[in-house]
Order: sequence, then C-alpha cells, then structure tokens
Amino acid sequence: MTELTPRPDDLGLTAAAKANVPIENQNAKSFFAQLQGFWVTFTTMFKKVTTVEYPEVKEPMAEGFHGRHQLNRYDDGLEKCIGCELCAWACPADAILVEGESNTEDARYSPGERYGKVYQINYLRCIFCGLCVEACPTRALTMTNEYELADDSRSKLIFEKEDLLAPLRSGALKPPHPMAEGKTHIDYYRGDITDIKND
Amino acid sequence: MTPEQALLETEVAIEMITVVIDGFEVTVPKGTLVIRAAEKLGIQIPRFCDHPLLKPAGACRQCLVDIEINGRAFPKPQASCTIPVENNMIVKTQLTSTVAEKAQEGIMEFLLINHPLDCAVCDKGGECPLQNQAMSTGRPESRFEGVKRTFEKPISISSQVLLDRERCVLCARCTRFSEEIAGDPFITLNERGALQQVGIYEKDPFESYYSGNTVQICPVGALTGTSYRFRARPFDLVSIDSACEHCASGCAMRTDIRRGKTLRRLAGDDPSVNEEWNCDKGRWAFKYLTNRERVTTPMIRGADGELHETSWPEAIAFAAAGLKDKRAGVLVGGRTTVEDAYGYSKFARVALGTNDIDFRARPHSDEETSFLSRVALNLKTTYKDIDVADQVVLLGFEPEEESPIVFLRIYKQVSKRALPVLSDAPFASRGSEKLGAVLISDLSKIANLTTKSVVIVGERLAETRGAFSSVYELINKSGAKLAWIPRRSGEPGALAAGAIPTLLPGGRPVTDPAARVDVAAAWSVESLPTSQGRSTSEILLALNVKNLDAVVIGGVDPLDISSTALTQLLNSFVVSLEISHSAITAVADVVLPVAAVIEKSGSYLDWQGSPRVFEKAIADSLSRSDVRILSMLADEMGSPINLPTVSATAREIASLGKWDGTPVAFEKSVSEKITELGEKLNLKSWRLLLDLGTLQGGEANLAGTARKASAHISKARAEKIGVKSGELISISSELGSLELPVEICEMADDLIWVPRNSIGSQVIANLGFVNGQVKVIKA
Amino acid sequence: MTKLTPVLSAHWDEKDSFTIEGYKRVGGYKAVTKALTMEPDAVIQMIKDSGLRGRGGAGFPTGSKWGFIPQGDNKEHYLVVNADESEPGTCKDMPLLMANPHVLIEGIIIGSYAIRANHAFIYLRGEVVHVFRRVQQAIEDAYKAGLLGKNIGGKGYDLELTLHAGAGAYICGEETALLDSLEGFRGQPRLRPPFPAIAGLYAKPTVVNNVESIASVPAIINNGIEWFQEMGTEKSKGFTLYSLSGHVNNPGQFEAPLGITLREILELAGGIREGHQLKFWTPGGSSTPLFTDQHLDIPLDYEGVSAAGSMLGTKALQIFDETTCVVRAVLRWSEFYKHESCGKCTPCREGTWWLVQMLHDLEAGKGTEADLAKLLDLCDNIAGRSFCALADGAVAPIISSLKYFRDEYLEHQRNGGCPFDRVASTIFKTVGV
Repeated sequence: MTELTPRPDDLGLTAAAKANVPIENQNAKSFFAQLQGFWVTFTTMFKKVTTVEYPEVKEPMAEGFHGRHQLNRYDDGLEKCIGCELCAWACPADAILVEGESNTEDARYSPGERYGKVYQINYLRCIFCGLCVEACPTRALTMTNEYELADDSRSKLIFEKEDLLAPLRSGALKPPHPMAEGKTHIDYYRGDITDIKND
Repeated sequence: MTPEQALLETEVAIEMITVVIDGFEVTVPKGTLVIRAAEKLGIQIPRFCDHPLLKPAGACRQCLVDIEINGRAFPKPQASCTIPVENNMIVKTQLTSTVAEKAQEGIMEFLLINHPLDCAVCDKGGECPLQNQAMSTGRPESRFEGVKRTFEKPISISSQVLLDRERCVLCARCTRFSEEIAGDPFITLNERGALQQVGIYEKDPFESYYSGNTVQICPVGALTGTSYRFRARPFDLVSIDSACEHCASGCAMRTDIRRGKTLRRLAGDDPSVNEEWNCDKGRWAFKYLTNRERVTTPMIRGADGELHETSWPEAIAFAAAGLKDKRAGVLVGGRTTVEDAYGYSKFARVALGTNDIDFRARPHSDEETSFLSRVALNLKTTYKDIDVADQVVLLGFEPEEESPIVFLRIYKQVSKRALPVLSDAPFASRGSEKLGAVLISDLSKIANLTTKSVVIVGERLAETRGAFSSVYELINKSGAKLAWIPRRSGEPGALAAGAIPTLLPGGRPVTDPAARVDVAAAWSVESLPTSQGRSTSEILLALNVKNLDAVVIGGVDPLDISSTALTQLLNSFVVSLEISHSAITAVADVVLPVAAVIEKSGSYLDWQGSPRVFEKAIADSLSRSDVRILSMLADEMGSPINLPTVSATAREIASLGKWDGTPVAFEKSVSEKITELGEKLNLKSWRLLLDLGTLQGGEANLAGTARKASAHISKARAEKIGVKSGELISISSELGSLELPVEICEMADDLIWVPRNSIGSQVIANLGFVNGQVKVIKA
Repeated sequence: MTKLTPVLSAHWDEKDSFTIEGYKRVGGYKAVTKALTMEPDAVIQMIKDSGLRGRGGAGFPTGSKWGFIPQGDNKEHYLVVNADESEPGTCKDMPLLMANPHVLIEGIIIGSYAIRANHAFIYLRGEVVHVFRRVQQAIEDAYKAGLLGKNIGGKGYDLELTLHAGAGAYICGEETALLDSLEGFRGQPRLRPPFPAIAGLYAKPTVVNNVESIASVPAIINNGIEWFQEMGTEKSKGFTLYSLSGHVNNPGQFEAPLGITLREILELAGGIREGHQLKFWTPGGSSTPLFTDQHLDIPLDYEGVSAAGSMLGTKALQIFDETTCVVRAVLRWSEFYKHESCGKCTPCREGTWWLVQMLHDLEAGKGTEADLAKLLDLCDNIAGRSFCALADGAVAPIISSLKYFRDEYLEHQRNGGCPFDRVASTIFKTVGV
C-alpha cells in the first residue's frame, strides 16, 4: 500500500517561496486576449443578479418546500394532533417521539379521546422527507417553509411541542378548553365547526 | 371410578389422524381442530373468537374453509375452529379454495362495517389481530356506504379495564375466559343483533383477579387497560421475557419497556405453569418502583442522626466497620432472587461467621423451620400433579388470594371433572366457593388420601402449632403428594440458597460436619459456623436485648413480621439494602441502594422448584444486584465471598449442587391445647391478593378492584353481638383495635376472620398479632 | 271442498273444542290409552313407519328423531315442544293451540312415553298471552284428569309437563337457542355436535318437536299407518295445516294432504281479492324463497317445493297481489331479521344491518344497478356462512325477489322512489271505483 500523502493545502506556494524563484506565468496570452477574458465579467456587471443578500434579504421558498414542521390547530385553538404516533412510525430517521394522553372533561387539548402530550422532533436526525406529514391522519402535522434551523447546541435542536405548535389565531383560545357547544370530534374532523369566529 | 379417573390411571395411546390441508398431509391427535392442524403446517387461517385454551365458539365465522370427507364435500364452507379432524378429510383453506377465500373476505368486510376504524387513537393499533387480518384477508376498500352503529366510548367496566363497544367484534373471548377459566362470570354479552355488547352486572362489578387476561386476549381494541391507555405503540416498546416477582406461582411474563420505564406487563406463555394467563397483580402492580422515592445513592447516618448521601467506597467502608467482628444477623426478606439469597447466605456464613439468617419476614415457627429444612426442600410436586390429582387438600393456603395461578390450575380440574377440594379455611371464601371446597375444621377430617392426592400447605400453617407435624404424619401414612406454596416469590429460592438458620445452600444441614466441609471447600474457607442460627423473630429479640449488635436487612417491611419488629432494631447497627425509602431505611445506619427486578438479571424458584430465569430489562441501568453489593462489602471486611456478578453466583450455585447426604430429622411439635376463650373470639386472617402490599403501591386502578375489607363472623355470633350484615363492629386486643363492617357467613361461632393487610384492616399494625384472641363488640 | 282433510282442525268450529270435555267427546285421549299399552319402541316404530315429517320447517322424519335418543343410558330424557312460532306469515300453531290444546298434550304424552321422558316442556312464544292462558288451563285440566303427573291412566307412567313462556325472540325458535333459553340463558344457538338427541336440555338427551308434528301423533296412533299414508305424496305423507294470508278473499287455515297446489288452495279460499292478480307468494313463511304466479301448480310437499327452488317451511302461504311492492315487502322482512338476529355470528349480525340500509336506499330509489350486484354478493357472503339458519332465511326473500323482480328494483331507481301506491295494497274493499 502506498503511503498516503496529505493534500498540500498551499497549492505549492510554500515550495515556490522556499525555492525563492519568481513565479512566472508560462505561455502568457496577449494583452488583448486577456482583456477579452474580462469581457464576460464586465457585461455581468450590468445584468440583474440572482443571488440575494442573505441573511439581510430573504426570498420566499417554493411552495411545497420541506421546512420546519408545524402542529396545526383547529380554528378555535384545539390541537389537531391526537398523539397517534403514526408520524413517529413513518419516520425513517427515528426523529419523532410522541406520547399520547387522554383528554378529560376538565382538560381538553384536542377533540376526541386522545391528544399528544409529548411531541418532539429531533432536527439533528430529521431528513425532511415529509413521510410524517403523509402519515398524519388529521392533518395535524404539516411542514412550513422555515429553513433556518441552525443553532449552537444539540439540545436546542430537539423541538418540543410548544416549539412546533402553530400560533393561535385571533379569536382562538389556548387549550385546554372544551369543544365548541354541541359539536363532536367528528364535526371537528369534518371541518363542520361554523360558529367559530375566524379572523 | 369415573371414566375420567380411569383415563388418568392408564396411559391411553392417543389415536393419530392424518388429514390433507391445502395439499399437505399432517398427522395430529384425534380431536384436534382443523384450525390447529393447519397451524401445524404453518397455514394461518384468520380467526377472532378461536382461542386454543377456550372452548370453541364458532361465533366470528372468520375461519371458514372448504372441507371434504371421504370424497363428500360439505355444501357450505365450515368454521375450522369448531370441526375436529377426521380420517380422509381434505381441507382447503383460503390458500387453495376460492370459496373459502371469498367467504373470509366477506366476513372481514362485515366485521369492519360497524368497526369505527379509529386505529389512530386505539391502543391496539400496531398489534391488532383485526388490523393485521384485515390487511391479509380483507378487501382493499369497503363497499359499505351506510351508517355505522355507535356507542358512547369508552366506558369503564372496572377501574382497570375500559370497554369500547364500537370496536368490539363480539367474539366473546373475554366472556368465555371469565366464565370458563377464571370462574368469574362478571361480564356477559347482552342485547342482540348489531347492538349486542359486552356488559357488566349492576350489582357485581367486574372485580375478577384475572380481568387483565381479557385485555390481553381481546383481538381488537375493545378492552384496554386503564393504566396503559394511550401510553405507547408497539414499536416504541422493548419487550423482555421476564418472571413475575409477586408470588411463587412462577408465571412467565413479558415486560414492555419504553425509555427505561416499564409501561406494561403481559402474561407470558408457559404451558407447564401459567399457560397463557396471569393475575392482575402480576400484570399491573409494577409502579411500586416509581411510587416511593427511589434510593439512588448510598447514605450513611451522620452524627446529627440524619442520613447523608455519600460515595460508594465511603458507605461500604462505613458498613464494613460497623459489621466487622460484631455479632450480626441477616434478614433477607421474601422477595430476593436465588442469586441474591445465595449472596446473603454466603455473606452471613463467611463475612459475619454466623447462621443467624432467615428469609421469613412473616409469622413463623420453629416447627416450620424444621419442616422447611427436612421436608419442603425435597418436594417434587408440580402443576402436573394437580392436573391428575384425585383430591386436593389446601392447608393454611387460600389459592386465589395467595397463589392465583395455582388456583386457576385447580379450578380447571374442578370445572372439567369436579375434582374434590378440601380446605381448612374458617369460612368459604369466594375462591373456595368457586372450587366447591369442602371446609374441614381439623386435619383428622382428611380422608381417602392416595398417592394421587395433592396436599398443599401454605406459609400460614406456621401459625398453627402442631399443624406441620400432623401434615408430615398424614403424608408419610398416605403417600400423598405434598406441596409447600409460600406467598412470596423469593421464598422457595431463599430456602434452597440456605437463607435459613438450619441450612447451608443446597439443603446442607449446618449441624452436619460433612455438609460444612463440603461447602467450606467450595467457598475456600477454613470453617463455617457450627451451631444452628437464629430465626427472624429470634434475631430481632437478640438485637433488642443486645445479644446481637448489628443486622443486615434486605427488602423487609417490619410490619409484616410483628408490630414490635421496628422498635427491636433501634439499638443496633442496621445495614439496609433497599430500592426505595422505607421504614427500615428510616432507622438504618447505612443504606445501600440495590437494583429492582427490572434492573437486574437473576432467577426465582417457583413452588415446584423450577427456576424462572430472567434477564435485565433495562440494559443500561447502573443499579446493582444485592449479591454484588454484599460481595463488595465482604471484600471490604476482609472476608471475601467472591460473587462479583449474578452470573458468577449462578455458576457457583450450580457447581455446588444439592446435598445428597442425610437430611436433618423433622422435629415434631404437639398441637396447642385450646385455651378457654370466654367472651373472646379467635382471630383468623390471610392477605387478600390485592391489598396494601408494598409492591402494589402507586397503581390506583388496580387497587380499585380490590375486595373491600370486612370481618366475617357466624350468624349466631352476629346475633349475640347484635349486629346485622354491613354494620360496623369493633375488634380489639390489648395492643389496639380496628373497626370493620360485618359480613355474616357460615363459620364456627368462636372465630372471626378479617383480611390481614387491607384498607382499614392491617392486623399486625392494628391488633399487634395475626393469631390470637380478640374482643368483638358492636361499634 | 273435497280437497280438505280436516283432522287437527276437524272440531275447531265447536264451541268447547278447547276444553278437555270437548276434546274427549270427539275421541280425544283415546290414543294415549292405546299408546300406553304399546311398547315405547313400537310407538317410535309406528311413527317412523307412518312417514310423519317435522312440520316446523325442516321436514325431518319425526320417528327417526325419536329413535336417536339413546335408550338405557340411565339419563333423564326430555321432550320439548317448540311453540315459539314467530316467523312472519306463520300462523298455524297458535290457532291450533287456541282451538285444541289437548291434542298437543295428548301428543306430548305419547311422544314422551316413546322416548322414555318423564318431563316434557312446551316453549311457547311469550307475546301470545291468550294462548298461554289457554294451554295453561288445558295442562291443569289434564293433570286433574290424571293424564299428566304420576301413574298416567294407571299404566305406571309418570310425566310432568311444564309450560314456559319465551321472551319474544325469533331466534328461540331455533332448537338449540330454545334449549338455552329454556335453561335460563340468553337464547343463542349452540354449537353442534353434540346434537340435542345426545346432549340437549340440561345436557340430557332431548327431542325438540314442532307443535303440529306432535299434535299429529294421536291421529296416527288412533287411525293407523295406512290411514295416514293414504294422504299426501310419496315421500311427504299425511295432512298438514296450510296457513293462507294476504290478498285472498278468505284467508285462514286449510288442512289438506301434502302435495296440494296453491291453485287448489286458492280456489278453496275464494281466490285473490276481486280485480287483482297474484304477484308473488311465500310457500312457507318469509324465510323461504318467493314464488310467483308461475308456481301455482307446484305440489306443496317437501320435495315439490324444494325442486322448484324454495322450501315448504311452515306452509305459511302469504299471498301478494300486483299492488304490492316487492322491494318494500322484502325490506320489511329484512328489518325483521335485523331486529331478530341474535348477534352471535358475524354474517348475520352485520349482514342484516347492512342489507336493511341497502334495501332502504333501493326502495327510496337511491340505488343503482351496481347496487343490485352488490346486494346479491352480500347475500352470497351471508348465506351458508352463518352459525344457524336464521341468516339463510334472511337472504332468501332478497335473492328470490331479485331473481323474479329484478326489473322492479330498477324501476325504483328510474322512478326516483317507489312506483307503487302504498295504500292500494292495504284496501280490501274498494267502493265505487
């Protein structure tokens, strides 16, 4: 086996300096030819640029971009997540952890029997494939366009339920609270909750 | 002789029958059902109501197959779970018959039309036979466009079982189990048609000790456990085969762990022991670990009288200093593994140089010691003997309360062939009623014992002087099979490991020089203590009067022994090996945290003497088994016991083997003269399966189905006291009193029975004894 | 009127036909005296030889059923009479019991004697309280007359007879469900084997017979085998009650030899109501496949009806004329079966639930042709897959109606609802039109 030599990161400049010989441009082109080379650069100066000054300037992402997840709510603020763990089951990277819990009459977080008490997505593992969104039976889990998911510690990249829950719309109440008067979880599921004020 | 008995007497050659299923021949015993014969070939016929341990029902119709006998085909597909194989039978399952395939597909479609399909919120989701078989057998899409039947969901049919009637496929497994296996027909199907549903009685709640099995055998998510509701999905869980730590029945178990926490336990499958069942205590009593505050760090008592957390080396050094060259005893407790008990046993003999060691944290007697040393250790009775017994005699033993799987085994034979059962209980408990037990007031009433009879003695027999001696005589005379079934899981193992003052490991008598040499050689020590040691009560007494200076205590609740046990400890140096804070740790000088069952490997011996080996359930636990800590302590004391790991201990136990020399002689005791009672009553008691036991802590749903405490007295006595059923009476001794509602039943007029450790009835704490005379008046 | 052979119904028109005196006056309880002098086995043989077949629907030879009871087994035997008549259209046992309960009691004594039973039961439908009272009185009278109880007729034979009222479940007409119900459990069919002849009531050998079968026994004992065999056809001997109901001028019980045709019975009954024609009919209650006017000349015996694709059943001839919507009739029957399904097995429990919803839609004109195929397929998934025969009966009218009246189903769809005038089928005398 040949010994591996590390790639010289100095592009040979150290060796050149050591040799103490001026660096020469071999086979130099004529001045005109060199100017011609700058022409492309010159014309580009008058074209519209496609890059943006990120992070000062941000462009909207394409529709359907796989960004950070969001746990959606019904219009009255109740959570759509039922804690079924199908997302965790679907996840090929084992990035999601869910623990369910019973809704009670005193503390209702979602319509129906069950809600997700613990909901964590580990963005160190997530590969943004979206299989979790496909698996979700209540459309509780969707993906936003948010892509700025860098941070300075590993633990900060495990998002808890509070980090993932959609913000409350105006008029919506933060759970726990009861279902709308006379409505069942099936009405919620079907979207038949008309008496809820929407902004 | 009944035909059944005749059958038991002679080994009948089983007729074998060959059938062809899907073109493959299979030979099975006569009477085998087609569905079972197909299983033998690896052909899975879908099913719901069929369960191998229940009688065939033929209710769900999911297992329809085409059958032809002697060239004559049945005109319609038949339910393979109800038809026994016959010669020249040709069976075509869904794999080879389009008729069977369509029939099964049709049934599955029907089953799903009224099923809510709420798998997403259903606990069974992911491990559901309906889900799985709908995938394997069902149509891809339902053609049902109508309205489903709906019910309120879920309703609780007991504090530990929830019923979702919408999901129910009405296979009747639960009702059949409750009636056929447990003898508790507290649930039943009512209404009819699609509105048929499982229901409970208004007056008799579903308070069966075996109700958890209905949850386990439910093929859909209709019955779910309250404690496991919405806890996890199967893919979250790591399942480990384990053994039950609650009683000496020896159930195989499955423990499901999620992130270091036990989420549920299920009955394991061991046909020779628990078949596929277990009791609710085994299933649901596992929260004791998280209930009380765990001891996680070693602690020593400082000069200020308080316990302070410290490092392991410091704690071990402190304990060693307190024990070295002191007169010390060892109280092992009844719940250790064989390996841990062996550790205590060796530690006492080698490091402490004493035979003062006892595993019995309960009332006991010298007569019992003698019985255990001479008789109990060499018994070979097994569950199989119960299966073929011509009579079962229960002495000081209430099987449903004290060893529920033994009860199921006896009940199986009682319901199958009316096996006669005798019991010395003071009144007919629910368990006795189910067994149809004939109550006997004294042992002289036992007749017709043969070599096929099984006599089962419980630990409570130690509370009656002379009883073990009578049993000994009875067995010697009749040749009947004898079984000793203590209540706690660790006792048979601890006895075998020599955690008793009379025996070294393997049943070697401490008083036998040859036995001592045997063990001393194996342990590489020069000599072993020669005289018989002290029993639990003697150790406590010796500590109290300063004949002993120190004591090492495993998992012991002092109130299980006597009301004075704790105070007797107060003047001694106490080393406590505990999992949680307890009455003992509160007075201990050193507290050394040990591993709980799920955090360690090891084994129990069940009452048959068969090992129930289990592995660590929580692989990355830092807690250590008792034997490991004792080994560290012995090292520090300069007299090493060399048992660094559980597996090393197991190897040493195996290499030591059993004693084949002369056993000690049984010392008979004479029964007590009955003292004049006067106005007082003789107190009788036993523990109910579900009570205030330490290991049942933290599980309110389980406690919700415990039987309510009541005092049982005879009708004549009740009239004399002037109380009616349900009214309160006061029971008092010199040491205290308790009040309980009265239940009038058929029993002797001079007896009163109360539960030993239930809510409102903690006999040792309240009255100071379990066996004695009490004054009973109307409260 | 020559076609009729009144035997059971011979004296129904007498005022006191239901009393013991009335029955005795016309020769009642003579057969008992005769039978008790015979060997039990001879009685069984006589019934076997007569060719009497069960009148409850299945047509199983009564004598053979008795012969299945193991003798000399030192077990108690029971005779149970199935009087839980609840099939839509079937109405023969109740009139019989109303008019002459003693003929049944006499049959029971003979039958019990033959199978060596000392306890017999009548399981009577609970809703018919008037019949219950009448039978109860009859039993009381029979006891008083020494015909029941100890040492009957001084011949040393003991028999207790218990009358039990069911609680109104169709399924309890199924013999094993009946036995469960009689024992005090919910009425649900039992797994067979063991058959009732081996382990029936209280797990003892039991014969379960229909009222009419047992009631036919005294006449056979009295008049002999030849007399009995003169009536009926080759394989279906004797007389039986045909219950005519529906759109006929003169509905009621017609006791005739087996093998008579509907055309003949209709003649006896004064024909279809004025101005209307026969559309469809059931040969033996709602759970037998429908017949139409093409089947008027089919001999109404066990073989004849089954050769034409139906079953003789309980001989409940429900006659419907052209004003009746077959879809609606079938829907009503299906609702009955849904209500009466015991719930034990899946195809019946869930299938009837579904069928009713589909038929509702079809009747309301909301079905499509594809739905008819689906309906037939569901019926195929129910028939022969269930635990007992209830579900087979439930799909019989659907399948047969689709066979003969498929276009009428489609007409509902084209019409967007039922094309029939619902009232028309209920008016019996139309005035002035």
